[in-house]
Order: sequence, then C-alpha cells, then structure tokens
Amino acid sequence: MLVFRSEEHVNRWCEMRGLDRGAVFTPEQLWALAKPWHGKRLDRGWKRFTPAEAEGVFAGAGLTGPFWHL
Amino acid sequence: MTDDDIRLHLLRELIASGAAPSVGDTAAALGVSASDAAAAYDRLGANRVIVFRPGTRDVLMAAPLSAVPTPHVARMADGRSHYGNCVWDALGVIAMLGRDGDVDTVCTDCDAPLTLAVRGGALAPTDAVVHFAVPAARWWENIVFT
Repeated sequence: MLVFRSEEHVNRWCEMRGLDRGAVFTPEQLWALAKPWHGKRLDRGWKRFTPAEAEGVFAGAGLTGPFWHL
Repeated sequence: MTDDDIRLHLLRELIASGAAPSVGDTAAALGVSASDAAAAYDRLGANRVIVFRPGTRDVLMAAPLSAVPTPHVARMADGRSHYGNCVWDALGVIAMLGRDGDVDTVCTDCDAPLTLAVRGGALAPTDAVVHFAVPAARWWENIVFT
C-alpha cells in the first residue's frame, strides 16, 4: 500500500517497474478504512475482522469489486 | 494471562517506547513463564495479529505500529511520534489513539514529502492518492511488501 503525490506519479511508478496498476483511491477513503480497522486495537477483547466483516469495511469506504474480495 | 493481555502489552510498550518487548521482558512484566509468553507470541503470530522478523520471535509489526523505523510517521498533537507499517497503519495509529495528528510520509515515486493531517476526526483535503498493487485476498502472501 503506497501513497503518491498524484495519479500521474502512480502511473509513472507502475510503468517504470512494469507493474499493472492496482487500485487507486483517495486518502479520505484510506482514513475511512483506518478508523474501523485500527481504531479499537487498544480495546480489551479486540478481534481481527472476519473476511465478511473486512469486506464490509472496504465497502464502507467505497472500495468494492473483485480487487477487494477476500 | 490471555493472548489479549500479551497483545495489549505489546501495543502499550510500542506506544510508550517505540520498541517491542522481547518474550522474556513480556513474561517478566506480566508475571508469567517465558514458555507461556512464547506460546502466546506464537499464537498471535499464527493468527496474523503480530508479525515477527523471519525465523525469530522478535516482533516487527503489531498493527498498526511498527517496531522498526519506517517512512510513515504518525506525529501526534502531544508531540509524540510513532512508526506505522504503511500509511494506512500510520493513520490507524491516529485513529487508535483518538487524537489529532499528522502522518508524514513521502511520494513513492519521487520522494517528495507528503503530510496527511487529521483534525477533529477528519482528514484534511489533500491531492495525494493511494495505490494498492496487491488485491486484498493476496495481502498476506507477503505482508511486508503489501
């Protein structure tokens, strides 16, 4: 998971390495992932999300489709 | 002692000092045997709650915190800093601590400094973009790369 100044920099970085472009989205969406994913880690009894729960978190950040299937 | 006690101890020590305690240190701090603490570390590792340096029980990652310096630093409003394993995790540190903070990182392509600022529970507008090269189902094939 990497951050870039702009999509132009993503494309250049992928082209230079011969990599397919993966999923590109906004830091706001990443923050929407980070809050539920990590926000309760200091709570006693915290559990990792099940795959279905994790896909729900992705969807809550607007991240859907095969790339986000577990 | 439960595995959750060990997990919370690791997180709290990483927050306090930036260093992950060894099995022996954790055993001593929680008043359990080293073998019980080691078994708990192993279960947490097997359950992908923590990540070790290969071939050791040295904790490398206790998400969202990194036990080693990374380019993804959560700088909290109280002046303290913590390393995240990636930008997602560095933002996760801010979410976990429930305070304002900045994530200082760099553009992967050109190394230009980037800052993501969280104020009052919201991310400040930014032109940066996030790229996942690896589909979610394959993240744990190589979590360090992911």
